[in-house]
Amino acid sequence: MKKIKDSSADYPKLGKLISWVDKPGSNQKIFYILILLCTASFGLEWTYEKHAYFEIESYKGFYAFYGFIVFSVLIFIATLLRKIVKVRENFYLEKSIDSESYPDDQIQRIDHDA
Amino acid sequence: MMLDFLHQIPTAFLFFGAAFIVMLLPQGNIRNIALLGAPVIAAIQVWTLGMGEFYTIPFFGFDLELMRLDSLSRIFVLIFCLAAFLGNLFAWHLRDTVQQVSALAYAGSAIGAALSGDMIALFFYWEATAIASVFLIWARRTEGSYWTGMRYLIIQIASGVILIAGVAFYYHDTGSIEFDKMELNSIATWLIFLSFGMKCAFPLLHNWLQDSYPAATITGTVILSAFTTKLAVYALARGFAGTEILIYIGTIMALFPIFFAEIENDLRRVLAYSLNNQLGFMVVGVGIGTELALNGTASHAFAHILYKALLFMSVGAVMFRTGTSKASELGGLYKTMPKTAIFCLIGAASISAFPLFSGFITKSLTLSAVAKEHYTYIWLALVFASAGVLSHSGIKIPFFTFFAHDSGKRPKEAPFHMLLAMGLTAFLCIFIGVFPNFLYSILPYEVNYQPYTMEHIAGQLQLLLFALLAFAIIYRRGLHPPEIRAVNLDSDVIYRKLIPSIFVYFAFIVSSCFVSINKLSKSIFSDLVSKLNHSHGPDSSRAASWPAGAMVISIAALLGLSLFVIFFS
Repeated sequence: MKKIKDSSADYPKLGKLISWVDKPGSNQKIFYILILLCTASFGLEWTYEKHAYFEIESYKGFYAFYGFIVFSVLIFIATLLRKIVKVRENFYLEKSIDSESYPDDQIQRIDHDA
Repeated sequence: MMLDFLHQIPTAFLFFGAAFIVMLLPQGNIRNIALLGAPVIAAIQVWTLGMGEFYTIPFFGFDLELMRLDSLSRIFVLIFCLAAFLGNLFAWHLRDTVQQVSALAYAGSAIGAALSGDMIALFFYWEATAIASVFLIWARRTEGSYWTGMRYLIIQIASGVILIAGVAFYYHDTGSIEFDKMELNSIATWLIFLSFGMKCAFPLLHNWLQDSYPAATITGTVILSAFTTKLAVYALARGFAGTEILIYIGTIMALFPIFFAEIENDLRRVLAYSLNNQLGFMVVGVGIGTELALNGTASHAFAHILYKALLFMSVGAVMFRTGTSKASELGGLYKTMPKTAIFCLIGAASISAFPLFSGFITKSLTLSAVAKEHYTYIWLALVFASAGVLSHSGIKIPFFTFFAHDSGKRPKEAPFHMLLAMGLTAFLCIFIGVFPNFLYSILPYEVNYQPYTMEHIAGQLQLLLFALLAFAIIYRRGLHPPEIRAVNLDSDVIYRKLIPSIFVYFAFIVSSCFVSINKLSKSIFSDLVSKLNHSHGPDSSRAASWPAGAMVISIAALLGLSLFVIFFS
């Protein structure tokens, strides 16, 4: 495995600020914040009267359930789809850009501490 | 005075003129200023010109209308100007005349097409967009991009050929070439519809989009993403508003790309699938055809060009620094490219339609129009597609580029001009989201719609947050499809692999048959010749008994026969 030389002291200020997300425990905290936000958005249902166009839309928490379920279904179908359509990266050989590298003379590959 | 002069020139010609001038200017800041100036001047011209038809030229007995400015064409022309400006700003570092000229000519052609009042002018500009834009792919200057450009060009030119065939039939049927609302009731209108559908990336006609956009240059893709497909949306809105079949086509367009985008490794191809999905919403709006729906389509196209450009810019900036746009090779880049990461997140929030971002105030117009017309299943499918948008553009693009597993890459932040272009675009995404009335005021029809009601906000937040929760659970459990180096087959495998391999197989069979028949006939013929030689040849037993004068008689007979033929012929 490639060893990463982490010199976080040299990162831009904004990068250091965001690096909170990588600290131990942050992952869990983000998850709890998300659950909290979900609960709050669910709770909003009781603050207004619905003017639904469809019967299904009028049920409390319709969008919450629908969002959760369709997202899960999407991931499930996409995983199955990959089993059917996945081929090696150079499948189309030289007639495609899939396995060729981007020309070096058109980019500026510079490290942040260079 | 200056403005009066400006009003005399068709907007497309401003771009073509600028493209010519750019070629004469030296590379550097002066040329870059000209590249930025052209769209600004064009936007000022369109903004100050007012509505009407301003420029007609005779052409082989037809009157070509080059400047039809109304509320539908104006919004598309304005956003095209804005996209050209932002794209050229993003490409400030570029010192490639081919791409610079191509970008201006392409933008000019798209604007010319949007302003065409007749279908012959539309055809010329339609083809010009194809020819001008392919150089943005070829400018990558690799073998892969050459072949991809050829495939792109064939399909784009074919679209134009079908268009002019349709126009010819249409003229024969109606005696008119005016580009206005049509009914799908003749071969003429079906051909025109098909031509628009090819550029709009209808299902099964869509492959050129996912094939070519990731193959273009870093800056080329930003330019490409704005024009061709939105021009097609405009053409459909102009010609086929209220055509019911578009509702179903649009729904399929909104749905099927989300699955492919989820498993695609090249992030610029993910964005191309995402673009296809967004077009689906616009096409549904055209299919519904009510004022609310057409406002939805136009505003969605406007907002979409901005946030899609922003996403392509952020992935492009990463590519500029790392040389790759493959999710499997990226991750953890927020540490050293935090500003690009934030701009990408703004683009992601906009396309996902979070409240206060541009997608929210535009997509809800289309969804409300669908709901008002009581298309229950279409509405459910579009809400599903909205969750799909969050999945690939809202989560996948920023998460796997800037967060997720650490790739170990520590590239420098994007150059200032790229940050400026992204910053401006991000600002517009938020500005439109916070102040929807600005965009609503330039829509084709009067807007009587309030996006920021508690019901809308709560519904959208629930949908997005619970979809995010599903992602978090799936990702934490390791069930999310991993980013791996692979290609996913789409229906273009039919013409890129299957048909060529059938041809090769067929050619093999034909050539084998030919060789066998040749061999067989040769062996039969040589056998016959050797037998005749044996019985009648000079060394045969019969030859010994022939008189010497027999040959002279034969030749005399042959000459006589020749004379006979010549005499009667």
